[in-house]
Amino acid sequence: MRFFSSLIRGSIALGIAGALVLSPALLGEAGATTSTVNVVGYSVAGLGIRALEAAFQGTPAGANVTFNNTFGASDTMTTNVANGQAADFVNLSYSPNLTTLVGAGKVPANWASQELTVGGVNVNLTGNKQQTVYNTPGILTDSAVVFVVRQGNPLKIKNWADLVKPGVQIVTPNPTSSGSARWNLLAAYTAQIALKKTSHQAIDYLKKLLSNVVAQPTSGSLSMSAFVAGTGNVLLAYEDDAKAAIAAGNNIQFITPPQTMLIENPAALTTTGLANPAAVAFYKYAFSKAGQVILAGLGYRPVLKSIATITASSFTNFTKKNSLLRVTDINKNGWTSANLQFFSPTVTFPAGNTTYPRFGIVTYLEQFVGSNG
Amino acid sequence: MAVTANYQESTKSRLLLPKERQSRFVISPVKGVARGAAVTFLSLVVLIPFAALITNAFNGGVSGFWNAVTAKESLHAIGLTFFCAALGSALNSAAGLATAWVLVRDRFWGQGLLNALIDLPFALPTVVAGVTLYTLYGPLSPIHLSLTGTWIGITLAIMFVTLPFTVRAVQPVLETMTFTAQAAAATLGASPIRIFRTITLPALAPALLAGTGLAFARSIGEYGSVVFISNNLPYKTELASSYIFSLTSSSQNTAASAASLALLVVAMALLGLFSVLSYHFSRGNR
Repeated sequence: MRFFSSLIRGSIALGIAGALVLSPALLGEAGATTSTVNVVGYSVAGLGIRALEAAFQGTPAGANVTFNNTFGASDTMTTNVANGQAADFVNLSYSPNLTTLVGAGKVPANWASQELTVGGVNVNLTGNKQQTVYNTPGILTDSAVVFVVRQGNPLKIKNWADLVKPGVQIVTPNPTSSGSARWNLLAAYTAQIALKKTSHQAIDYLKKLLSNVVAQPTSGSLSMSAFVAGTGNVLLAYEDDAKAAIAAGNNIQFITPPQTMLIENPAALTTTGLANPAAVAFYKYAFSKAGQVILAGLGYRPVLKSIATITASSFTNFTKKNSLLRVTDINKNGWTSANLQFFSPTVTFPAGNTTYPRFGIVTYLEQFVGSNG
Repeated sequence: MAVTANYQESTKSRLLLPKERQSRFVISPVKGVARGAAVTFLSLVVLIPFAALITNAFNGGVSGFWNAVTAKESLHAIGLTFFCAALGSALNSAAGLATAWVLVRDRFWGQGLLNALIDLPFALPTVVAGVTLYTLYGPLSPIHLSLTGTWIGITLAIMFVTLPFTVRAVQPVLETMTFTAQAAAATLGASPIRIFRTITLPALAPALLAGTGLAFARSIGEYGSVVFISNNLPYKTELASSYIFSLTSSSQNTAASAASLALLVVAMALLGLFSVLSYHFSRGNR
């Protein structure tokens, strides 16, 4: 009796497993002419990418294209793709993620030039090609670091100095897994430099800021969820994520600090993506005027100059001196050096100094604040 | 699981000893195939990944392993994980015993429904459990009980996901238990507490330990249900699973494997201890 019942259970389990294994194959067969594009993106990219996909499917090039989406913390997504997760089109938080994918052999080293070769966008402002706002090749969307506060701004948060006051509870993602977290902390540091502070004073500022942090969710979008669910009273976030959360009806508002950082989110076709005509067409669409208008409508700053001009009224402008800082302001090598300087897992001090690390500043400060705060 | 198996085997092998002994010498082809399949399956699913984990953990040599495990953030995360897991599964063993007792020994309206509800935490994706607990015990708690970012909140989440283990382990034993010895003790004037302590509890102990062991093992690896409610603050409320996740995210695979291995070794040592205790109790019963 027991034997039979376990036999029956066993066959049912096998049947279900078999169906699960076979179903994608069967479904694939049903629409033989469709092609699939695997998209992997940082958590906050989800909104924009999904809208782009829906619009793209309405064009002749995208009529028979289906998408497989994965969105999550940028470093996590990068590691997954480097370890073999299928990806044709990647949209990540910051360019070191693409450097990692180049190292893993998943993305060609000249990925940034796909903007010109595939997208027809010329960053060098010549010829009849589309032109970009900030001249950084391979970037799909721009954004800025903003402060998200409760409706009415009860703590009257205006600038970076307000964030380190006692009683301020900050939510910012965990820099070990999130790209958004890294943009936020770099913005905080660079703003201090722009305010004529020394590098040591800027590190001291970061220390104070981190000791006011009450939650470090694993990704940018989970940080937004935690903030909306009531955690903390200031959230450091992407401007586009703040706009999306407000549009979704949450009782929050955002403040653009007097000094903030230009966020540049790169996108690229992987080697498999370059061989997939549907992925190539989608890339082209994302960088086209139509694609950029969709992104701008959702709060991402468009990279195309023509679209940025049309949509300028819906974005805070950064005409004041030092109002928009760039990674290259702290280090002329940009992210390559900044990543090591701030987020290296190994902390190294210059000779005769044990307070201000040369590498792994944030790693060290997290430990310091965690053990002494 | 190992604990239950041991217990059952120890009673079973007494009954089946002659046949078992026979089969040790004459392996029928069917049994040979079955054994081969079992070993292959176990290798693919458990042994090979485990071996890979060990290899990865020692990629940086013994000192690399040691440094990764004893890094302050790692020690803190592992310590907090064990504390909350131990507390959660201990509380659950008491609560689970009481629940199983009520389900088996009592008859009341809605009992069937309650019995079915016990398995709900298993059926629910842990992330959903995490979000639910966050809304219920978060800063905007409708019952004004904010437990986010505290060890109490983490323990609560652990108790939620591991509740079925003890209940489901103890329930069958309680169902088959004849209460004649207890009745005899009562006629001899033993107090209910004494009867429970000296007769009922020792008989339930192996199952109870098995359930608690499973709950404990499950809680140290718990991620989805605790990652929100913990607030994930490094050196403060970050748990081992989340710490390991962060390490793999930033390509620190050796450190991640080392921390996982440390977690696993301590967990296995504790499960071994439970197994020994369970064996001790089941022998004592005979």
